[in-house]
Amino acid sequence: MSTLLLNIPVTQYMFYFLSFVAILCGMMVVISKNPIHSILYLILTFFSIAGHYLLLNAQFLAVVHIIVYAGAIMVLFLYVIMMMNLNEKDEPNKKVFLKIAAVGSAGLLLLTLVGSLKGAEKMVAAAPLNTNVGLIKNLGQTLFGEFLFPFEISSILLLAAMVGAIMIGKKDPVK
Amino acid sequence: MKGLFIICGLGIFAMLAEIFKGFGLKKILQPVVLLGIVVAFVLNILTEWNNPMSISYFNNMIVFDNFALAFSGVILATAFFWFVFANDYFENSSDVTDHFALVLFALVGALMLTAYKNMTTLFLGIEIMSIPLYVLAASRKNDVKSNEAGFKYLILGSFATGFLLFGIALVYGATGSFDIMVIRAKISAAQGGLPLFFHAGVIMMLVAMCFKVAAAPFHFWTPDVYQGSPTVITAFMSTIVKTAAFTAFIRLFLVGFGGISEKWEMVMAAIIALSLVIANVTAVSQGSVKRMLAYSSISHAAFMLMGVLAVQPGMSIPGILYYTLAYSVGSITAFSVLYNVSKDSGEGFEGFNGLGKRNPVMAFCMAVAMLSLAGIPVTAGFFAKYFIFATIMATSFKWLLVLAVLTSAIGVYYYFKVIIAMYFKPADKTEKVPVEMQVMLIMIITTLLTIAIGVVPGYVIDMLGNSH
Repeated sequence: MSTLLLNIPVTQYMFYFLSFVAILCGMMVVISKNPIHSILYLILTFFSIAGHYLLLNAQFLAVVHIIVYAGAIMVLFLYVIMMMNLNEKDEPNKKVFLKIAAVGSAGLLLLTLVGSLKGAEKMVAAAPLNTNVGLIKNLGQTLFGEFLFPFEISSILLLAAMVGAIMIGKKDPVK
Repeated sequence: MKGLFIICGLGIFAMLAEIFKGFGLKKILQPVVLLGIVVAFVLNILTEWNNPMSISYFNNMIVFDNFALAFSGVILATAFFWFVFANDYFENSSDVTDHFALVLFALVGALMLTAYKNMTTLFLGIEIMSIPLYVLAASRKNDVKSNEAGFKYLILGSFATGFLLFGIALVYGATGSFDIMVIRAKISAAQGGLPLFFHAGVIMMLVAMCFKVAAAPFHFWTPDVYQGSPTVITAFMSTIVKTAAFTAFIRLFLVGFGGISEKWEMVMAAIIALSLVIANVTAVSQGSVKRMLAYSSISHAAFMLMGVLAVQPGMSIPGILYYTLAYSVGSITAFSVLYNVSKDSGEGFEGFNGLGKRNPVMAFCMAVAMLSLAGIPVTAGFFAKYFIFATIMATSFKWLLVLAVLTSAIGVYYYFKVIIAMYFKPADKTEKVPVEMQVMLIMIITTLLTIAIGVVPGYVIDMLGNSH
């Protein structure tokens, strides 16, 4: 038994640990009644996913993920929720039927997704893992080479989102 | 491709027009946009139609083949009509430039969806098209219904996008590529040996796409969003967005996942059956013409899905092209009449009472549009349905045909409610509904187009030929 455990590389332990934390925190996001707690658990989930990126040698992605998601976006979420002043008693009373229907359909989806992973462990990777894949140099070459068009056209997406945000946000003259 | 760049440029021009409004740019905005759309249309056809060279750009990210060009032609033509009839709405609002910029950006996304050959461009196309629409749906800020429409569309649309991304991730995990053609090759090479989660990914993408085209049971947002949004935006959503989403659907499922059609065709058949029944039965009891048109758009989505289900690229793609053209032209007419009537007397059926006497020309246009949407012969809608039925006859889903014919019969009932109101009910007012000259012209042109392509359907059908 002990030799079996020793044969597993340390990254595998890390993988199981991070996955456990990610799934546990992900569930806590949904379960906890206090929205502030949900956000904090979500931040933990993001950190453990960043850990997964590190295990896959995607250092740049891990750092960006922490800065952008766990940092900027979650702080924004936190501010919005604190300003909206939501708490437990504001939670709308949902009907029992709705709750059962939601649990049932989400459970079926979970069952399908977990079931569909059957046999995946025997799959052979299409390409061997390139250990330099996460370096900024390689990432930039992919982004400005193969994926140049999607990269550039995202600017239209961001522009549209910006124009939209300003249009919704600015005050309309009341007619 | 040049068309795509021109539309991007027009969007940026619309934003600049706000800054430089002192130079009169704001006044010439609509003519410039109309001209730009015509130029984009002509350039697309001139440089890329039937041109086997240089139609693939940026490592196959985007491919303007005849299939893409035909559908982007439908989209650009519809956009041209739309900008003529919608201008009146924006002239009354203070921020015409923002609206135009957002609509043009949505158009960029729509054009990308006709031409994508890669899952990344598919995803970006859907997002570029959807995000401006979320804002436009909520653009009447003082109207609670419009706010509700925008919010519902945003929340549910993001949820569907989540499904799309999860599906893309699973498909990528199984095939190792985002490229539609590579995935197609992997499917035929694997001979059914693909992992199970690949099929889960395909079904998740099916769910997301069905949401975008508003097919039941993913249609719950449609009536509320279509009703709450400003009428001109609803017209945009139910014509251009629907055509673009369908083009994406066809490319993904006929070209990409065509090799494993036995895995998804039963699911799609169930979705079609549900859409046909739910949409047509619910549309009967609607009191508002706008809501009725929303349900009718769900039932038309089901018809177009039937074309996707009958996987015979040679036959069903021209059929769907014809259907989108007939449906878009008919809907633009219907919505431009509805927009002008609702300004005068509300969105209910009673607003149309006696329109035949008040505005005979407009009533005739609306009547032709309704006949076309219902699928009555001589109009384009008849042949659109005929071609779809012909393709489905060749498959094992003949029971869908029976269901489609039965529900079309229900459809005739609610479309005729409008015609009956216009010609056989007394009007409350006698004065004409005021309509701008150019809008009137567009109504007449689209009506003539509906009849013309109904009389000579061969031109559109043969256009694609065997190359797609």
